[in-house]
Amino acid sequence: MEEALAEGSLLSDELLRHLMAVGQVDVLVGVPTLNNASTIGGVVNAVHQAFGKYFPRDRTVLINSDGGSVDGTQDVIRGRSQDQTETVTVSHALRTTHSISTPYHGVPGKGSALRQIMTAADLAQAKAVAVLDADVASATPEWVASLVQPVRNQQFDYVAPIYSRHPLDSPLITQLVRPLFRAASGWQVREPLAAEFGCSNRFLAHCLEQNVWDNELARYGIDLWLTATALYGGFRCCQTMVGPRVAAAAPGRPGFREVFQQVVGSVFLLLEQQASSWVTRVGSEQIPIAGPAADGKGDGQAPGVSRLGSTFRDDLRNLESVLRAILGEGTLRELNAIAEAGVEEIRYPDALWVRTVYEFMGAFHRGVMRREHVTQALIPLYLGRTGSFLVEQSSRNPAEVEGALEALCVEFERAKPSLVQYWNQAT
Amino acid sequence: MNGAANGSADPDLLWYRDAVIYQLHVKTFADSNSDGIGDFKGLTGKLDYLRDLGVDCLWLMPMYPSPFRDDGYDIADYYSIHPSYGTLDDFREFLDAAHARRLRVVTELVLNHTSDQHAWFKQARSARDDPRRDWYVWSDTDDRYSGVRIIFLDTERSNWAWDPQSKAYYWHRFFHHQPDLNYDNPAVREEMWKVMSFWLELGVDGFRVDAVPYLIEREGTSCENLPETHAVIRWLRSQLDAHFPGRMLLAEANQPPELVRPYFGEGDEFHMAFHFPLMTRMFMAVRLEDRKPLVDVVERTPEIPATCQWGIFLRNHDELTLEMVTEIEREFMYEEYARDPVSRLNLGIRRRLAPLLEGDRRRIELMNGIVMSMPGSPIIYYGDEIGMGDNIYLGDRNGVRTPMQWTGGWNAGFSTADPERLAQPLISNPLFGYQAVNVESQLRADHTLLNWMRRLVSVRKSSHVFSRGSTTFLKPANHRVLAYLRTLGKEQVLVVCNLSSSAQAVELDLRSLAGALPIEMFGKSMFPRIGELPYILTLGPYDFFWFRLRRV
Repeated sequence: MEEALAEGSLLSDELLRHLMAVGQVDVLVGVPTLNNASTIGGVVNAVHQAFGKYFPRDRTVLINSDGGSVDGTQDVIRGRSQDQTETVTVSHALRTTHSISTPYHGVPGKGSALRQIMTAADLAQAKAVAVLDADVASATPEWVASLVQPVRNQQFDYVAPIYSRHPLDSPLITQLVRPLFRAASGWQVREPLAAEFGCSNRFLAHCLEQNVWDNELARYGIDLWLTATALYGGFRCCQTMVGPRVAAAAPGRPGFREVFQQVVGSVFLLLEQQASSWVTRVGSEQIPIAGPAADGKGDGQAPGVSRLGSTFRDDLRNLESVLRAILGEGTLRELNAIAEAGVEEIRYPDALWVRTVYEFMGAFHRGVMRREHVTQALIPLYLGRTGSFLVEQSSRNPAEVEGALEALCVEFERAKPSLVQYWNQAT
Repeated sequence: MNGAANGSADPDLLWYRDAVIYQLHVKTFADSNSDGIGDFKGLTGKLDYLRDLGVDCLWLMPMYPSPFRDDGYDIADYYSIHPSYGTLDDFREFLDAAHARRLRVVTELVLNHTSDQHAWFKQARSARDDPRRDWYVWSDTDDRYSGVRIIFLDTERSNWAWDPQSKAYYWHRFFHHQPDLNYDNPAVREEMWKVMSFWLELGVDGFRVDAVPYLIEREGTSCENLPETHAVIRWLRSQLDAHFPGRMLLAEANQPPELVRPYFGEGDEFHMAFHFPLMTRMFMAVRLEDRKPLVDVVERTPEIPATCQWGIFLRNHDELTLEMVTEIEREFMYEEYARDPVSRLNLGIRRRLAPLLEGDRRRIELMNGIVMSMPGSPIIYYGDEIGMGDNIYLGDRNGVRTPMQWTGGWNAGFSTADPERLAQPLISNPLFGYQAVNVESQLRADHTLLNWMRRLVSVRKSSHVFSRGSTTFLKPANHRVLAYLRTLGKEQVLVVCNLSSSAQAVELDLRSLAGALPIEMFGKSMFPRIGELPYILTLGPYDFFWFRLRRV
């Protein structure tokens, strides 16, 4: 049955009827989905158990905003929600718990889903909102509690998660996104791209008024945008431990190159749009941790090391003309020297990597070529840097690796004036 | 949870299934001889009021001689009337006058314990070999039945008390001056049957039996709800049925519904039992603005024999008990209803209905509308029909047992004695005091709470569907709306209640009732016929509807 949708409305009549029935809520958990039938059941269970265990006296609702799943995702959610009344934990809740599963309309992507969730939360006057990703196999009730309680009990506006991971895990975050965002924004956010977060009604109301929902950032960079908006907007922010993040592999998900372009493109675009906020900032500040303090170090296994020397060399040769347009002469010369060193294990030092990233960012901003080509060209350099770091750190313990990552962040901060210089040249 | 369906017995023998019961304390109802204490002559003078209220049965709190250390629940003589309340002849006159007005009378029967001033206990403690010794539960040590919970937590530290006279401990589940009788002794059982017979022969219509679960003790148990206790009850019931058919036994067993169920037996134990958990959850639901706690408790209430009935109520003479709720629920109730710790007693809240609901007329009506339409026989606590207040600064539970407020004049019309002589002080604050809240003024205007309660009782009694019908909950998406269908044969009543302080819209799936015409039962207004589409209703804050569903 097609849902009636008033022209210009984000919310269908069906969803509005559900929201009217739900009324005002204290805690709203939103879960965007698109073909997540294999994992969504676990997430829904975790949410309902969280409601019963941690928020038994609160008015709660789970809202699933679906992008048109064809694998039965919504059926799984509705089925699990009806089963919940049988569990002991859920039955301890004093109040009725609600679940709503509804398709969203608008530009395909997480941004539209989040916008629908936030709009619903705003209408329901939700005091605290948490958003969980649907493909997280490791979500627990404690995730929800960790994201919501700092808002409910300590009046934070934005809560970013800290995942437990081995420091050599997720190099895209640790080598690029985290240190770049830290140096640019001046905030030490462990997971700037976290898909999960918690927030207050005040914050989401602010976000709904911003002009991001129909632009490119909403598709692939909304998570980063939310983090940046919270930090730049003067909202009370904190981080919280949630444990390891294990995402299920799902068919139809984009491959590494596509993900890299989406992520890096979003980061560059966001920093470009918010340049006035970060250009003048110097150094970086810590963000408080709510809940039990831990350092996010995981005991997981280090990823395997690959020897990339010959690949790196070939890539540099193939991309030479492109790289000449992007990089400065000195940087390109150093990269070629690394590639031609004749060893299988390349060494890509921190300072060179930082300069690489900053020059790419400047090129992106200047528009030396199509932006997707700029981000595409960074891939082999990123792989080379990652391989180099892995080789260097593979024999070290996690604490030592964390130390090396911190040193990288410090290098990004130290070299920020050069980024500002590149930036101002282009502006 | 179904109401009791038609039984095979003479319907008049099952009168309690349809009764609306009124609980009162003789001591604080009406004083005829100016001694400041209510009495039977005073009560007799108020029977017309009670008849006009529409109730069917009066439940009197203890009227026996007593040192009054537990407001009469510490009985010193089972065969007499406390002299302050009058004589046995006064009682007989009252009984006859009540019956003449078609009002039945149920009195209190405290089976579990006596006062330590009772002659039986005085004898029992006089010597270890006294014939009455074994009428109570004695021990040389206080470590028997260890782990058994203490009920009066605020005042008692142990269920054993040391008797210096006989140099032994005696068992008491309540106050230390209320020693437990020993029901393992056949002589005790025989004597209590004699007590019952005495009053039944005078004409009382039944007994509200206090503290039922605790009659028998066994090592290694909770000493509650034991099979041997049920055996005692079955024996008493068999005697009752054999000699006084049509009289009723009402159990006070403050337990979860599944543990109360055994007290009905197979129709061979109690005729009625209080539904304590329903009471608590009505208060929770209204405060939460969520039907969940109420629906949950009714849905898990077991079926009872067709000749039995639940006693349902909002308040009574005791604290609003929070014994049989979870820790979270108790915390919630304390925070929402008993912010002032003085109002908390034992594991409960010692407040009357109106103060609990902050004097909110709409909420008072809603709560009464729910209790009068839930399956069971409703019990009105004296004074709640006019919205009386309480005094939490009086000791124990005396704050909810203050004199009935008849007028705005001298001593609220309760007594012509000097105010200092009154058994309990009057409520005199501007909100609930007798000058503002009294029967006389509420009889003078149509739209007072008292007149509304009279109409409510009248409408309830217009149909047996409320007392005997089945209950099916509708569960609309709007959790703030409580909706249920009461059905008895072809008769159906739809009850819809807004538990919220704000106006609500609700869509009800009434397709199974398509074709029926809802008639609102108070004003007799017709509402749109039920069809296949969701039936939309809007309700004001705390509003409720009773719809009789007609097929035309």
